[in-house]
This record gives sequence, C-alpha cells and structure tokens, in this order.
Amino acid sequence: MNPKAKTVTQNNTGEEVSAEKEARDRQETLKILKSFGRKRENLIPILQKVQARLGYLPREAMMEIATHLGIPEIDVYGVVTFYNQFRLNPPGKHSIRVCLGTACHMKGGYITLDAWKRRLDINQGETTPDREFDLDTVACVGCCTMAPVTVVDNQPEGKVEPTKVDGILLAFELERGAEGQKTVR
Amino acid sequence: MRTVSLTIDGQQITAREGDNLLWVALDNGIYIPNLCAIRDKSEPMASCRLCFVEVEGKEQPVTACTETVTEGMIVNTRGTRALSLARRSFELLMASHSLDCAHCPKSGSCELQHIARYLGTRLKSKQLRELRRDLPIDDSHPQIIYDPNKCVLCGRCIWTCREHLGVGVLGFAHRGFQRMVTTFEDEPLAISKCDRCVECIGVCPTGALLPRNETKTRVTSES
Amino acid sequence: MKVDESPTIASLFEEIKSQADSHWQELFDSGQPVIVVGTATCGRAAGALDVLKAIRDELERQGVDCPVFEAGCLGHCYAEPLVIIGKPGYPPICYGYVNPVIAERLVKEFVVGDNPCLEFVLGALEANDLVPSFADFPRATYEKKIVLRNCGHIDPTDINHYIANGGYVTLSKALQMSPEEIITEIKDSGLKGRGGAGFSTGQKWEICRNTPGRPKYAICNADEGDPGAFMDRAILESDPHSVIEGLIITAYAVGVRNGYIYVRAEYPLAVERVRIALRQAKKLNLLGRRILGSDFSFDIRLFEGSGAFVCGEETALIASLEGKAGMPRHRPPYPPTSGLYGKPTVVNNVKTLASVPQILTNGAAWFASIGTEKSKGTAVFALAGKIVNTGLVEVPMGTTLRQVIFDVGSGIPNGKRFKAVQIGGPSGGCLPESALDLPIDFDSLTEAGAMMGSGGMVVLDEDDCMVEIARYFLEFTQRESCGKCTFCRLGTKQMLALLSDITLGEGTQADIDILKALARDVKTGSLCSLGKTAPNPVLTTLRYFEGEYQAHITEGRCPALMCQHLIAYYILPNKCERSCDACVGTCTVEAISPNKKRIKVIDQEKCVKCNTCLMACPPQYNAIVKLSPPSEVPAAEK
Repeated sequence: MNPKAKTVTQNNTGEEVSAEKEARDRQETLKILKSFGRKRENLIPILQKVQARLGYLPREAMMEIATHLGIPEIDVYGVVTFYNQFRLNPPGKHSIRVCLGTACHMKGGYITLDAWKRRLDINQGETTPDREFDLDTVACVGCCTMAPVTVVDNQPEGKVEPTKVDGILLAFELERGAEGQKTVR
Repeated sequence: MRTVSLTIDGQQITAREGDNLLWVALDNGIYIPNLCAIRDKSEPMASCRLCFVEVEGKEQPVTACTETVTEGMIVNTRGTRALSLARRSFELLMASHSLDCAHCPKSGSCELQHIARYLGTRLKSKQLRELRRDLPIDDSHPQIIYDPNKCVLCGRCIWTCREHLGVGVLGFAHRGFQRMVTTFEDEPLAISKCDRCVECIGVCPTGALLPRNETKTRVTSES
Repeated sequence: MKVDESPTIASLFEEIKSQADSHWQELFDSGQPVIVVGTATCGRAAGALDVLKAIRDELERQGVDCPVFEAGCLGHCYAEPLVIIGKPGYPPICYGYVNPVIAERLVKEFVVGDNPCLEFVLGALEANDLVPSFADFPRATYEKKIVLRNCGHIDPTDINHYIANGGYVTLSKALQMSPEEIITEIKDSGLKGRGGAGFSTGQKWEICRNTPGRPKYAICNADEGDPGAFMDRAILESDPHSVIEGLIITAYAVGVRNGYIYVRAEYPLAVERVRIALRQAKKLNLLGRRILGSDFSFDIRLFEGSGAFVCGEETALIASLEGKAGMPRHRPPYPPTSGLYGKPTVVNNVKTLASVPQILTNGAAWFASIGTEKSKGTAVFALAGKIVNTGLVEVPMGTTLRQVIFDVGSGIPNGKRFKAVQIGGPSGGCLPESALDLPIDFDSLTEAGAMMGSGGMVVLDEDDCMVEIARYFLEFTQRESCGKCTFCRLGTKQMLALLSDITLGEGTQADIDILKALARDVKTGSLCSLGKTAPNPVLTTLRYFEGEYQAHITEGRCPALMCQHLIAYYILPNKCERSCDACVGTCTVEAISPNKKRIKVIDQEKCVKCNTCLMACPPQYNAIVKLSPPSEVPAAEK
C-alpha cells in the first residue's frame, strides 16, 4: 500500500503509452477509414467511429479523415466543432452528463450541475486533472419523468439532487479504493 | 431565354426569368444593403439578413437574395418594415463588432460604414448592449492581419479562398455565437496551408482581413 | 404491383405471419407465467435493469424456467419500474414502483406461489374481477392509443412480437395497392405531420412523387431535440417496427429506394433497438431487395446524429446527412421538391410514420372520424414537470388541456397550484390557467401563442418562475443556434442578456420594451423556423405573466422564489427544533451551524442555495423558508 510507488508506475507507463499510442491511434484511424468510401456523406459516421475507438478526435485523425474524403481539413474541423458530441480532448475515465432539459431544469438540474462543479472542482466541458471525471451538460435525454437526471457513464440516473451527487461520487471512490488495493497487491 | 418585366421602386426593369432579385436590383443601379451575397454561388447563404425588401402580395418583408424575379413583380426596397428589419439586423451585427473606426485602416472604404449611411443609422447601437467576444487577433502571417472581432461572417473570404486554391484554408467552424471564420484547429494563418495569394483581403467588406503593411503604416502614422 | 404477383406477396407474408404467431403463442402455451419488464430509458433510469436481474436471479434460485422478456414503455412512467406478470388463471397484472426486493417477492409469492401481491399492483391489462384494470382508470375515458398501441406490451427486439400483433400486414396489403391509391387514402385521412408544423402528409407525399428527379429519398426525422419531449424516444424504444413499416409504405407510395432514419445521439437505446429491428426486417425480406417478392426494393440506413438541436429542422437534418454542419437553408424550395443532394425528399416525423399503417388498415374514414374538423387523429404528449402522472399519453385531437393535465395526468402534486403549461418546447409557449379549456389542435394552440410542436408538455406550478423559464428557453436556443443568420445568432443572445439581467434583479422597464421589439424582429427576420419561433417562450410569458416580470424589475423580488439571486434561505427561529441537526448534517457547504441557543442559523455568505436543507428539515418543524428579496432576512442574520 504505497501510493507513491503506484504513481511512479503510472508515470512510466503513461509516457511509454503516449508515443506508442500515437502510432496505434493512427493505425486505428486508418483501419476505420478503410471500411468507408470516399464520399463526403461518410464524414459524420467516420468521426463517430473514430471517436468511439480513440475517445476523442486527435489532430492527426482529423487530417487523415480529410485526406481520405478529399476535403479541406477546415471542413472536418468545422463539422467537429459544430456538433456537441465530438471532443477534441481525451475524455476522463468517467463521464458525467447533467441533463438540462426543461423538466430537469425546473426540478433543479442547475442546482445539481452546481453541485457537480463544486465537488469535482471543474467547469462544464472540463476534465479533472487526474483524468478521472469529465463534466458536461446534455440538452435532454428524454428521461423527463425522472428529473433531475444525470447520465453517469452512459447510464441515466434519476432524481439526482446534490446529496445523490455525493452518493455517486462516494461509490466511485470506494470502487477506486478497491481497485487500488488490487493493483498494489 | 425568357425575360420578365418587374418594377423596383417604381423603376421598370427587364430581367431574365429565374434571376435573383438582389442581383437584378444591384445590376440596375438600385442598392439593397447586403454582405453575404456571392454572385456565383448557386444557393444564397441568406445569413446576413440585410437585404429585406417588400414585395407586393407578400405579407412579410422578404430577403431579396432568396427571391427570384417573376413577371409583374412589384418591389419596394424602401418600405418601412423592410428597412426596420434591415436596421435591426445591422444593429445586431454592430453590437458584436469591434468598433474602432478611428484606428481602423478600412475606415472610409468599409462597407459597414456605407450601409450605416444608407440605412440612416448609427454605427454604435443606442439600444442594444455590446456583446463582444474579444478573440485574439492573428498577426502571424507576413501579409495578412486577421481580426475575427471585426468579422461579420459573410463568408466571402472562404468562397474566394476555395475558388482560388481549390482546397481552402479558411472555413466556418464552431456553432452559434461562437461561430467564426477560421483555419483548421484555429491555427495561426502563418502555419496554415495559406498560399499567400491574399485575395481574401480584397473581398472582405470590413476591417477583419487587412494587408499587413497598411495596418502598420496607418497605426504608425496615427500614433 | 402486377396482378399476377399479388398472390405471392400474400402467401409469402402468410408464411412469415404464421411463424410469428406460433412463436408468440409458445410464450403462453408453456403454461408458465410470462414476465415482462419495461426497460425503456425511463425504466432504466428508475432501476429496471436491477429489477430484471433480481427477477432472473430469483427464478434461478427457485428453479423456475418461465419466459421473461423486456418491453418498452407503457406510458405510466411515474410508476417505473414496471413489471407485468401474465399467469394462467389470472389477468395479466402490471406492478408499479418495483424494486429488486419487490421483484423477488413477486417471483416467490406470485410466480411460484399463488398470492398476486395486490399491494404492488398498478393495474390489470384486461378487465377482470380481481383487480382494477387500466381501462377502469379515469384517464382511460380520454385516452385512445393508436401510435402507442404496442408500446410496453411487446418485445421491441423481436420482430415476431410485432407481426403476431398485426404488424407488417398493412405493408403486405399496401404492396398490392397502387401508390396513388395509398396517397389518396392518406390524404383523405387528414393526417398532418406530427413534427410540429402540421402540413398534410398525403400532400407532401404527392408533391414528392410528382416532382421529376431521381433518386428520391425518404427520411424519418427522429431527431427529437425539444427538451421535455420524449414521445419519439419511447416509440422507437418500444415499437420500432411500426415506424419502419410506416417508412417502407411511404417509400413505396412516393417511389423511393433509399431511406434514412435519423436518430439523435442522446438516445443510444433507441439507436440500438432500431438497428436490431432493421436487421430483423431485412432478414424476413420486409426490407431490402424485392420486398415480399414484389418488384419494389427499399433500403433504410440508420444515421446517428451528433448532438445538435437544430438538426431537427429538416433542411439542417439534410445537411447533416450530407456530411456537413447542420445549417438550415432558406425554404422554398422545400425538401419534397429539392432535398437530400437536391433530390425530391420526404421527411416525416416518427409519430406520423407510426400512424400510417394504422390508417391503411382501418381506413381513412376511421382516422378522419377521430379528432376535430381540422385536426384529425390523435396527439401524443409527453407529460413532465409538476404533474402527478408523468409519462406518455395519447388522446384524440380536440381534447382540452385541462383534461390532459387534470384527468389524465391527475393534476399537480403536493397540493400545489397549477401555474402554466409549457407546450412545444423552445418553439412553443407557456399557457396559463385561462387557456386550459382550449382544445388541443394545431390552430388553437398557435392562436394562443404556443405551438403543437412535437408534443412535449411540461407542467409548471406556483414554485416555477415564468421569467426564469423564458430565460431557460432563450439560453437553450441561443446555445443551440447554428449561428448562421444574424437574428438567431445575435438576436437571441441579446434577448438572453436582457432576461438574465431581469432574473438577477437588474432589469429595467426599458429592457422590457427592447425585449419585446427584439422578439418581434427575431420572429420575422430569422432564416429558419427555429429562429422564427425562438421568441415564443418570451412572448407568451410576457403576454400572460407580465406581472412577474414587473416584480423582478421593480421590487427585486421573484414571486415564485426560484431566481437564485433574488432569494435567501432562512431558518425561522421560532420553528427550529433545538435537538434536531438534520439541516446541519446535510448542508453541502457547511453553511449551517447552531447558535448559542442551539437554533440553527445559515451563513448567507457561504450558502449556495442548493435547497438541500429545506428538503432535510423534518416536516413536523418545517422551519426553513425561502425569502425574496433577500433583504427580507432579518438583519442580524446577514
């Protein structure tokens, strides 16, 4: 149970990964591109698939995609920045999406969002420095009857009020503790 | 080609059937304010919302750029309701424009100043609040200085860049209030694939895209 | 189709149908109880998957092997998770508010034993002597399920369930009709587009069919972006084949070979269920090349949106399909004459398409007999907000708002007073009490300043601030504006700034005048219908609730005690119980502490107004109140 030792291992692997990862990301992108034709209409499905695989859309991936489709790079960037779901930065391990639909808002979704911001100490659209959580809002997930809703790791959670925010975070904390113990052992 | 005759502001005009009302008016010496209209573009952007006119038989003012001329059409470009919409649209643009004519090299040849004169409205809105974005000015390029805070999103530079290069360095990105003319990943023009034809400067209606030397001289001469 | 081919279509379908029937019948022939768990997104958010697991585990422990399947949404979302148990000798019974513990008991006591656990019953699906059935509910008088008829009753991932319950039979018949006959039937039925605008569906099809140009396209618009609306999600998750069948018939009638279903990204479960449904339909040759042996071929591609509200606008949706940013363009030309890649394209809403098979089966006259003179058929609404029975309802057009909210929805919870109902999302408006007797149809709602919209209905009570809701919607449209045209990009931004100031107590009388003028100009001047309707929430709240705006401006007071800057939380010293610490423990920022007399006091500087203490304060004390303006808090406390 030496937290320091754990950090060191993480750093080492972390650096190794980044060099390797870039090459692997490129491989993955090219593999995905192979399964698509060169028509512009494939742009959004390609972006979705690449993001599903890599977690976000790195610069190099966008450039490969532009080349594949024979369109200006700025056009890929224009589409990526237009739609809410595309990200330009790696996501956190857990995604927190606070629903801000009408019903959620009127039942205090904005208060829930404040609670998440306060607890994670980040703003919406940001990732915690330890890359554990990323926080964002979502227009409406259509679970209005369970308002206020927060989508945690793609699973909608109903009636998330500030106290439940603490509950959810505590559950992650416990899970992480258990995992940490396993790793050290 | 069949022709149609129509009346704009009492003036009898003959035009080709299917032609665009805005260009017919402009070609006949009748000015209608506009920023986003591009003659060669098959589909009008219809985004600046300045070219409102009143067409007899239509309940609401319409944008001239989206109308095709028809036989017997009667158009009034100076109707109160049309002008009031155009003024409002202009006012909205100006409320988010980095207004600094005194130091802007474009002053004098700026289309915004021209439109303000035509509409008889001030450049600085009295009613609306200033909603500026304060984006960084890109002065990385040896010939171009790009100030996105003066851009009105007309898209002329994008069109020209593509026509000239066939590839396109400039494009629209981001959404809503954040929408802007920019490069891939918002990178500085100097490291973009810009081939330095600088034709974008020539088509920019405002001081958003300026030649570098001119900016310098102007600033030095005034300071 | 050619006459000599029609027997083939009929006999091929007969084969599929008889297989589906026997598959469905097997469920009941085993003599075992059949268990159905509602696992649409609303059910999942309430824990339906845990319930499902508990049921499976308990069945295993008990050594019982009985069929369990997942269904969609029954519409009674307020009582989720829902479980239906059909046991021979009993009517099929629906249980509400089920949790894993109740689920275990249901298995032990009813599936294995013989106690139907009446205490957990929500209602029976059929009339019987044992328990009240849904048909006995007062709301049943008003409901008429056409589009929602299968939702919650069948397994959406099993095409046989749909076919055994009358599915695809209409398609097999339609393929033996001429396209013109179908279009006439749809036109005669009076069906109008359920996406909000209310254009005649039959006419749209006819225009598209008659416009020269190939190929043509058919698109199902399932980009349900209105916050507070979830009808399309529920239908796609519960009965995807009804939409697919409608789209195939549309394609046949219009002369289309390629279709798309555009589902928004925020609906992953709907995407998954549509994908499965498409695969199954294709396997049975209800989709694909030479459908049911006819010479009509049609393919559907599932397209996932990427999160942009504006893509619900048809021209933006088309741009998105073309791989571009979802920017609307000027209409006309409308898509039926120039749509995807400039080709004739029909774009229909989910509910419109789901109505199509029913109309052809039961006839145009039947459909036209439902509803009002100008608005035919039923309207599907998603009820949410401050209403007892949140969920889905389907009522004939012409039903009044009061009937939907008070008779079907059972009114406002917690003894609160109704204040307004928000209809039609960001394009709609807030209607007050005085509008409750309006019949629901396209024209009446538009006249009242709202809009039929796609069917989201959010009920607001006395605790909801009308300025805040207007600000909320403007913030939404402003954030979701594509940014193309000046009025929507900058006009809504200006309006939002004004509304924000008012909710902060910093608004002026002049702001109201500018707000009204801007609203008017954005409405006329915007490029697309989203911009044109964006001011509606502001215009309706100003029209019906201007007094609330005035209270914010002149007194710095929020009458509904909602605007955070204009309220303060306060603990009434005479009501606070010394021995109780409930609020102190729950305060998320440690802003509450006891004073010398052990009366709890809120540190106003620290308080973040999260409402937690107010909910924690035991009802017998009820010591915490909200005050507006904040200056109402006694000086010593500040």
